[in-house]
Amino acid sequence: MASHRPGAMQVPVIILKEGTEDSQGAGQIISNINACEVVVDVLRTTLGPRGMDKLIRGSDGRVTISNDGATILRLLNVVHPAAKLLVEVARSQDEEVGDGTTTVVLLAGELLRQAKAFIEDGVHPHTLIRTYRAAGRLAAQRIQQVQVDVAALRTVGDTEATAAEYQRTLERCASTALNSKLIARHKHLFAGMAVEAVRTLDAELDLSMVGIKKVGGGSITDSFLVPGVGFKKTFSYAGFEQQPKKILDPKVMLLNIELELKSEKENAEVRIASTDEYQRVVDAEWNIIYEKLDAIAASGAQVVLSRLAIGDLATQYFADRHIFCAGRVPDADMQRVAKAVGAAVQTTLTQLQADKALGTCACFEERQVGAERFNFFTGCPHARSATVVLRGGSEQFLEEAERSLHDALMIVRRTIKFPALVAGGGAIEMELSRYLREHSRRLQGAGQLIMAAYARALETIPRALCENAGLDATDVLNRLRAQHATDERALWCGVDLETGDTGDCWAAHVWEPALVRRNALAAATEAACVILSVDETLKAETNENGGGGGGGGMAGAGGMPRTAGRRRPGRGRM
Amino acid sequence: MSLVFDELGRPFIIFKDQDKQQRIRGLAAVRANVAACTAVSRALRSSLGPTGADKLLQSPDGDITISNDGATILREMNVDNEVAKLMVELARSQDDEIGDGTTGVVVLAGALLEQAGRLIDLGMHPARVSDGFDRACELCVERLQQLGVPLERVADAVQPEWVRAAATALSSKVVSRHSQRLAEMCVRAVEAVADWERRDVNLDLIRVEGKPGGRLEDTMLVEGIVIDKDMSHPQMPAEVRDARICILTAPFEPPKPKTKHKLEIESVEQYRAMQQAERDYFTAMVERVKASGANLAICQWGFDDEANSLLYQNGLCAVRWVGGVEIELIAIATGGRIVPRFEEITAEKLGRADRVRQVSLGTTHDKVIVIEGCPNSKAVTIVVRGGNKMVVEEAKRSLHDALCVVRNLIRNNRIVYGGGSTEMACSRVVHEAADSCVGIEQYAMRAFAEALDAIPLALAENSGLPAIETVARIKAAQTESGNTCLGVDCLARGTDDMREQSVYETVHSKQQQVMLATQLAKMILKIDDVLLPNDLSNGM
Repeated sequence: MASHRPGAMQVPVIILKEGTEDSQGAGQIISNINACEVVVDVLRTTLGPRGMDKLIRGSDGRVTISNDGATILRLLNVVHPAAKLLVEVARSQDEEVGDGTTTVVLLAGELLRQAKAFIEDGVHPHTLIRTYRAAGRLAAQRIQQVQVDVAALRTVGDTEATAAEYQRTLERCASTALNSKLIARHKHLFAGMAVEAVRTLDAELDLSMVGIKKVGGGSITDSFLVPGVGFKKTFSYAGFEQQPKKILDPKVMLLNIELELKSEKENAEVRIASTDEYQRVVDAEWNIIYEKLDAIAASGAQVVLSRLAIGDLATQYFADRHIFCAGRVPDADMQRVAKAVGAAVQTTLTQLQADKALGTCACFEERQVGAERFNFFTGCPHARSATVVLRGGSEQFLEEAERSLHDALMIVRRTIKFPALVAGGGAIEMELSRYLREHSRRLQGAGQLIMAAYARALETIPRALCENAGLDATDVLNRLRAQHATDERALWCGVDLETGDTGDCWAAHVWEPALVRRNALAAATEAACVILSVDETLKAETNENGGGGGGGGMAGAGGMPRTAGRRRPGRGRM
Repeated sequence: MSLVFDELGRPFIIFKDQDKQQRIRGLAAVRANVAACTAVSRALRSSLGPTGADKLLQSPDGDITISNDGATILREMNVDNEVAKLMVELARSQDDEIGDGTTGVVVLAGALLEQAGRLIDLGMHPARVSDGFDRACELCVERLQQLGVPLERVADAVQPEWVRAAATALSSKVVSRHSQRLAEMCVRAVEAVADWERRDVNLDLIRVEGKPGGRLEDTMLVEGIVIDKDMSHPQMPAEVRDARICILTAPFEPPKPKTKHKLEIESVEQYRAMQQAERDYFTAMVERVKASGANLAICQWGFDDEANSLLYQNGLCAVRWVGGVEIELIAIATGGRIVPRFEEITAEKLGRADRVRQVSLGTTHDKVIVIEGCPNSKAVTIVVRGGNKMVVEEAKRSLHDALCVVRNLIRNNRIVYGGGSTEMACSRVVHEAADSCVGIEQYAMRAFAEALDAIPLALAENSGLPAIETVARIKAAQTESGNTCLGVDCLARGTDDMREQSVYETVHSKQQQVMLATQLAKMILKIDDVLLPNDLSNGM
């Protein structure tokens, strides 16, 4: 409680409302760092190809098995204000580059741990922050110096050899991202798939044009890529099976209209005076729907999709005219189809302009995938799109596969946009660490020690890689340090987890886009600096909490803004 | 959950509800998960094979299921443990894709995890175990491909070899006594609907209807459609030859506007007029049906007695309250069109069938309508009879398995021999490969080989044979003679050669089992941290 006592006889002056938690000073920084370390410890074991997964059951009973840093942190429901910053860092890395979320959290955590000793020794946080920032800048420069530019591969003529080499380069980057995931064993399949999916897109590389569909059952190796749009068969009425299931060069019409025999207005009531009128009312209703259906049939459409329901009458009408229809198509799929076939979604059928409303593609087909049926539009002329159909044993497996594939897609996209690579496996971190350590010797004052600490913090990545693989981390690190320090050519020396020794990670094709690393370093440095610059936390008493602050974690968290629960479209996770 | 204290010694909360969460991490988590999964697989172990026992399961609302089918048992078991639930999904996934071998896949996955647990206790990193399993899995899949024997289609009507494969699937079920007859039925059913061009079978076209009563021997295959309905009027003829069927989704009653409406009647004349109009509707409808040349009306909705007797007087047969799915099936099979309004009935829209008859089953007044000789005879129905509901249900599930086996044969006609013979053959290959493997993965590969032996071991155990002796003897015989067809003689037929016993399983199913089980084992071994909110009932 923040109450000050100016004199012994005076009543304490209450500045803060009762129930507000307050702590400050160096002790506060240290306790914030401690909190962050707890979060980092959770993630540490997920790093690298030998990293493990976490099984988390949310309060809603859903079970997630994941290796993805951002996903795990989101599900952990972190409520500590300082530790929450780390969650945000991971999320921003996830949104920015899609991969390297664990790395960024680990780095930030280690930077803070190194800072703790300095804070305890009375170094002013600001000194730390200044040097950390400088070190971060230097590291970013060094990455730019050493990164390998592969842009040449793309631009140097379109000879077959360079094209193939470019393809391989992209696949290697995607494989690196998949290394730590559950589907690592099939990384060649998925890396190839990710590259092909991204490369079918046009120059903008809009990843929302890549649909990922999950179908339970089958083996993971049965997953496949369709160069087009696909979605699961929607609910259908009797008559559906009599519709055509494969149409070449179909004309596609997209609707946002209900095609059902129904009352036009909810609260309307018709008063019928005589029995003759009766039939006319009935006919009028039928005519309304038949007019709509006739308009569609007259436009020459062969495939009709609607966001709203298509009833049994319409289904049978279409079946009679060899038109395929699907009602209640999910919104995201509808938009993908609209873009791909170049059709506009119609909201009315009056004055329908057939040439403008209809889209087309090379082939429409209904295909059986496992126990499900899918509708595929392939060879779309307007926007290039791709659909990956994932197969696998269980729901959790499929979800994790989807997340992993998403990471790979992001990496491929990044690599195409910024074609510069570094080697992973801790190699780039060791190189930066060596560079900063050498640089630190030229500094005077406390900066020297702090920059050395930053250099040490970078080693946490190869260290975690070794620890997770059950290797002797200290021994491997010592060897790596020596190699980097003595041999100029050992630039890309990192941990080789197959042999448990050091090795050239560039030669082993552990490649990552330089941008991922640069972004990770910048984000981690920034997060560490923010946490270090906080020396006072005020936590307002939450409304539901009746003052029982001690164990009231549940109630206390109820009022926290649920930033962690925010969802990103297109990724479909919970 | 670890607690952290701030400078004043107050604990602070980092994760939401952290004091209410259960958390197991590290190797303890791996061990707990392995234990949960092995418990599930142990429950199923005794159901494996022709001599496996059935389980009786009672659902919360008192329904009783007796089953031998792995996927069904697990589904009814209401497994609560999160990791064990993955086993349930594993069985379901095998069921969805292959249909058969659900018990086997669970037993195999359990055995793999048990072996992995042993290695982890010895200090091996779970990821290394996974790597070894992966390698072994690849070897197995390859070996299965080599062992596969193609079953060629013979020109004969019923494929005797295929019947044997279907019979193998049925041999472990309650219907095993009639496996030969039922297997033949399954092969005929699948052949009738198979799409040879795509080498696929749409199993939706095979309806399996259950009718308690009668004996299992009374189970019959109808090359056509069976609907669980009767003629709307008892005096209508029970058999219509050369049927022209009018398929209606409109009811035999005056059409109703969908908008809310009110008819106001102020005088007796008006009332009479309304009554007359109603009657006219009926006559007009019946006339329309008759005019089109139809002699049978199949209607999705009902119609009242007045319409009914009018239909009868006009010599039309009618069936009412037929479900949407059946309507569609009838339309496809008879080549008819579904008619939504009486105004639209035309002769071209009628469906055709050689014979439509009403069949009574047993002494009860249960009647079904059988539509046979349809021009697009792409639909068949198997009517399952049996002593009680539970037997019928289990028989239906068993038939589904057998149908799936035949379908898989159409997709991929390679088979291997059952009785655990392939598992032992694979186990031998993996064992050999382990010896030439550098690195500690060889231990995981050996463990994989041991796990494969779990299948023949369970078979022998369930048959009351001395398990270890039997498996050891057969394995030795396999190595000595190189005959990979030697398996466990569960039914005491006097020979270990599964080729002579004609115990067939599809290669596809076996490969899928190995791959799915390995995938699941890997997934579970990769988890080192389990975070669960405490039981909600005492947590809140």
